[in-house]
Amino acid sequence: MATLHLVSHSPFTDSRLASCLRLLDSDDALLLMGDAVYALCNGTSFREELESLAASISVFALTEDLQARDLTQTLPIRVKSIGYPEFVKLSCHYLRINSWL
Amino acid sequence: MKFAIALFSPPHSPSSRRALRFSEALLSGGHDIIRIFFYQDGVYNASANIVMSQDECDLTNEWREFIKQHRLDGVVCIAAALRRGILDEQEVQRHNRPTSTPNLSEGWSLSGLGQFHEAAQQADRLICFGGH
Repeated sequence: MATLHLVSHSPFTDSRLASCLRLLDSDDALLLMGDAVYALCNGTSFREELESLAASISVFALTEDLQARDLTQTLPIRVKSIGYPEFVKLSCHYLRINSWL
Repeated sequence: MKFAIALFSPPHSPSSRRALRFSEALLSGGHDIIRIFFYQDGVYNASANIVMSQDECDLTNEWREFIKQHRLDGVVCIAAALRRGILDEQEVQRHNRPTSTPNLSEGWSLSGLGQFHEAAQQADRLICFGGH
């Protein structure tokens, strides 16, 4: 069942994102928010891992959190920056929403 | 689409702000929020005693106004609330705390975890906010 995964913790302080990446199904999507957007920093293993995910897995990041951390200019091509209206649309599109609390 | 929202984090947490912004976007998008359930440290969002500095975001007030304006069903887990000192008039009486003033904000209700389960069953989507 296609699931939207929400991650808001930094991947450098715990293993939530690492666990999530292992469990992503081919038609799932990942939305990074809060400190989880640090996974998109240049030169990190998490960025490499996100870039090498199957093309069928969509990856999003919340625009306000990218802006707050000055990461808007260096986004990988496959990562889409979205606002709350798009966040709502995604949560309707995917059948389940799994928050990595 | 019908949404149930659960919030697990206190008002000073970024995820509580995110939950409110998401809820606002839901209503703007024409969706329904059948219940917002406040659990664990999320119950602090329903406290009438939180005071913020003037230059900081007053999220408890924003939640209060949001729930009031849209007549939403804001439910606070009673067990989580009592252990964090958030009581309504009835609980002040029941637990004989004559020196306590009820501090559950107007417009919210204290109830059990069953309300969370029921909302999850009735909604098309359940979305939880918590952590950071």
